[in-house]
Formats: sequence, C-alpha cells, structure tokens
Amino acid sequence: MKPAFIDYLILAVYFAFVLGIGWRLRKRISTSGDFLTAGHSVPVWITSLAFLAANLGAQELVGMSGAGAKYGIMQSHFYWIGAVPAMIFVGLFMMPFYYGSRARSVPEYLKLRFDEKTRTFNACTFAVMTIFSSGISMYALGLLLELVLGWSFTTSVLCSAAIVLAYTFLGGLTSAIYNEVLQFFLIVLGFSPLAIMAVMKAGGWAGMAARLPPVMTHSWRYLGSASENPMGIEIFGLVAGLGFVLSFGYWCTDFLVIQRAMAADSMSAARRTPILAALPKMLMPFIVIVPGIAALALSKMAVGYALPTKGGGYDYDQVLTTLMAKFYPAGMLGVGLTGLMASFMSGMAGNVTAFNTVFTYDIYQTHIRPGAPDAHYLTVGRVTTVVGVALSIGTAYLATQFDTIMDFLQLVFGFVNAPLFATFLLGMFWKRATGHAAFFGLFSGTLAAALTHGLTVAEHKGGWLGAVHTFPSTMAQNFWIAILAWTTCFVTTVLISLATRPRPEKELEGLVYGLTRIRHEESPRWYLRPVPVAVAIGLFAVFLNIWFA
Amino acid sequence: MMDLRVPSGLFFTVVGLLLLGMAVFAPDTRAALSDANVNLYCGLAMVVFGAFLLVLAARARKHS
Repeated sequence: MKPAFIDYLILAVYFAFVLGIGWRLRKRISTSGDFLTAGHSVPVWITSLAFLAANLGAQELVGMSGAGAKYGIMQSHFYWIGAVPAMIFVGLFMMPFYYGSRARSVPEYLKLRFDEKTRTFNACTFAVMTIFSSGISMYALGLLLELVLGWSFTTSVLCSAAIVLAYTFLGGLTSAIYNEVLQFFLIVLGFSPLAIMAVMKAGGWAGMAARLPPVMTHSWRYLGSASENPMGIEIFGLVAGLGFVLSFGYWCTDFLVIQRAMAADSMSAARRTPILAALPKMLMPFIVIVPGIAALALSKMAVGYALPTKGGGYDYDQVLTTLMAKFYPAGMLGVGLTGLMASFMSGMAGNVTAFNTVFTYDIYQTHIRPGAPDAHYLTVGRVTTVVGVALSIGTAYLATQFDTIMDFLQLVFGFVNAPLFATFLLGMFWKRATGHAAFFGLFSGTLAAALTHGLTVAEHKGGWLGAVHTFPSTMAQNFWIAILAWTTCFVTTVLISLATRPRPEKELEGLVYGLTRIRHEESPRWYLRPVPVAVAIGLFAVFLNIWFA
Repeated sequence: MMDLRVPSGLFFTVVGLLLLGMAVFAPDTRAALSDANVNLYCGLAMVVFGAFLLVLAARARKHS
C-alpha cells in the first residue's frame, strides 16, 4: 500500500485541526481543575462521545476486525454483553456517587469512602497501567505503519506522541475530550464506507452467511460448550467472566472513561454520559467487526482477496489494512489512514490525561507535597503530562526489545480491574464495608488472579507454578481468572468488614446508597432523564442480541 | 467556550471538498476491489455532514 500526495494532505489537514483545537482552548486554563478535570463544564453530547472514543484505540480497530475474521459475530459479545449493560449500570447507579461526592478521580472516591491506603493502592496500579497501555498501543501502531506503509517506527511513534503532547499540554482534559469527539467522527466516517463496500462485495449478510460456517454468523447459538465455537468458551464463562466481572470492572471503575463523565456540566449530564455512549457503542461492531467477517467470506470467493499470512498462520492484525488497500483509492485511503492515527491518538490522550490527574491529585498532592497553592498543582499537572508521554515512548521502545514481557503485562492489565469492581460494589451499596476490608480484599483478589494464571495453562500460556487445569483458549483462561479474582475480593471484603469496626454513618453521607439523597431528575422531556433513556437503549441492545443470536 | 461543532464541521467540509476534488479531477482512481467512484460518494457524505454541523452551530449562536 502506497499513499499518494492527497492522502498525506488529508493527514496534514487533520493534524492542523487537532493542534488548532488545543491552541484555541489554551486560554481556558487558569487552575489545576481546568487543566485536569475540565472544570465540570463540558456539554453532554461531547462527554458521551469522548467516553466512547477514549476507549476506542487503534488496537481496538485493528484487533476487532482481525477478531471478526477469527471468531465471527461472536466477537460482538465484547460490545453487546461486555460493554452496554455495564455502561447503563454505571450511569444509573454509580455516577450519583462519583459525581455527587465531588471526588476529582476514582481513587479519590476510594479515599472518601474507605481510606488512604486503598486509594494509594488503586492510584499506583492505575498510573502504571495507563503508561504501559499507552506505550503498548504506541508500539502496536508503530509496528503496523512500518509493516504496511514502510514508515519508520521512530518517526511515526515520535510524531504522533508529539502531537498528542502538544494538544493535551495546551488545553488539558478539555482539549483531549474535544479532540476525542473529532476523532470519533473521523473513525466512523472513515471506516463505515469500508464496512459497506466489503459486505456488499461479499454478497451482503446473506452472502456471507452462505459462504461461512454457521458459527461465524451466530453470536449465541454455539455457546453450549467450549468445543463448539472458535473462542473456546461456554456460556457461563462468557456471561460471568466477560459480561459481568471484566466489563463492569472496566466500564464502572476505570478512571480513563469515568473521567469523561465526571467532566460533564451537571449530575443529570454525568449520568446520561455513559448511557448515551452505549448507543453508538453497540453499533460499533458493524464498523469494526463485520468487515473482518466479510474479509473471511471474500477470501473464499474468487475476487482476488486473501487473508494476510505470517509464518504458517493468518496475520489477523493486518486484516483491516489489507481491506483498506483493496477497497480505498487514493483520497479515501488518506481518510482511512487518518482514522487509524486518530484512533491511536484518542486512546493515547485518554491514558495521558487520566495519568496526569491521578498522579497530581492522588499521589503528588497526597503523599509528596500537600497544601501547596493551586498554581503549583497546575504546573505539576503540566509537567506530569510531559513525563507521561515520555514514559509511554520509553515503554514503546521497551516493547520492541521484550516482546514476551509486553504480552504478559497486557494479560495482567486484563484482570487488574476485575477485583476492583467487587470493592466498588460493596463500597457503594453496603454501608458496613470498611477500609481495611477494601484494601485486603483488593490485595487478595489481585493475588488470586496471579495465582490462577500461574496454576492454569491455555495455548501454552500461564502455568508458571505448575499446571493444575488446562483451558481450551486464553480467552477462557482470562475470563475465569477474572471470575475467581472478583469472587475472592468480594468474599474477603465481606468477611473482614464483619470483623472490623464500621465507620459512623454520618461520615458516609453522599458516598453510599441508602445514606445519600439521590435527586430525582425532573426534566419534562423523557429523553433528558437518565432512566427512560437507559430503558430505551437497553431494549435496543436486547434486540440486537436476539437478532444476531 | 468554543462550540466544537464549528471546527468539526469545518474539518469535514474541507476533507469532503478534497475528496470531491479527487473525484472530479481523477475520476478513474479505483482500488482493486471497488468499481465505484468511492471518493465522490464519500466526499459528498462528508461535505453534507460538515455542513450539517455548521448549520447546527449557526442556529445555536442565533438563539443565544
């Protein structure tokens, strides 16, 4: 694939707009709150699209179309079961505490509800995780652009990092959020034509279904046992592991996404942010997964498309880019490439803006230098932004040296959030839960995750302590690790809570269900109230699940 | 505060016009598996989307 002048021109126009938005927003920054939390002033349509886009990294675009070719429409469980219910839940039931408590970050909520050590534990794991995930996605993008376009790894990594740094440094969280919305539009407009053309070429959904084994075009029918489907997972592991623990653990507790909702201009807007985001979220499979399924169908037709290969097997990471090369002429190819860069930038800016907030408020202001004037924390926030980007770049280069370590880290991040959801669930809905219990519950849950990984094997992964059980796939292993980590954290937290002294109820007002007056939303229009919107969007998700069952 | 619909609308109008320029001046540009003038249809869609955002922003400004 060789881009033409027009493709580079489109990329340049995009960079100019992204930097321009950062430049225009720079004057809004006068306090650390403006820079790190956007001063609670962003309109709801913007926060909800940013909520979605911060999670929509390049790895998601590339990975999901590859997974479409590998697993078929079953991959949409990561959206319809693995995201939408949790997004509705966090909006309806958890946002009143996040937004209402006036905490500036998710770890800070843990401090208000539990204690300092629980907050610090969460802040540290989260900070490390954001740096590594932004570094790993930078690495993945650099590698892909090198392979597909022949761009140098160093040039693409440094250029994109410099642009992300420029606009987050200038305009802070507001600038990151505004650009995420532009990036979201670009991803949708840049990749939906590809989905439409690939599906049409493959004979529409009916043509694809006729050419592929039925397991590729049904999401629920082959989940009776792990041997029936290519994911190697059965219905309980999927629904409990992905649909409950992993998805609620991510969407309800990960500050990267919650931060977007917390930037909204009112409680009602904060609650509607994840709920409204669920609507485009559940349509994303048609843009990111379906082209992969179409690619597999095309490879079985005599049209001149073959799935990319590497070594003896398929190279699923190149499905998206090979489709772009086959369907996009010069011009539209530039839009597609820009969309890929945009998705990478939105993911990276999301990580960087979450990292600088958690570092500044939950680590620096708490442990290193409390009580300084606000201007000092604004400077720290700015410096941390630069440091965060530099550390991400370092991680990306580290990844080029130690491939297997990155594999392992990615797995670890997969279940860091799993026990956390048990902590939040008990913290928000059970006033008896105590700080000691939360800390040791989290600790034991994380330990249980590591032990399960050490004692089980799947596709030659894990089992560094001996193999007690073998899973049919790493996905099944991942889901079960999450289930065990969550259960351990839940049980430990309950037991220790019962053995320790509870906090006085007065201190928990505004932080726990039953001790908080949740204002009823009185807007006369149903679509401005969180509950009716949630019901309508939930019903649509049920419909999609049944339609593609 | 900046109305995000203005820069987004401008961006998609500009990109759409660039694609339309390609569609008019190099109408035979084709990728291996597409028979249509892809730049034409996508360019039109983007100009329409961009203009839509700009109209919304202009209406909001008039009301306030």
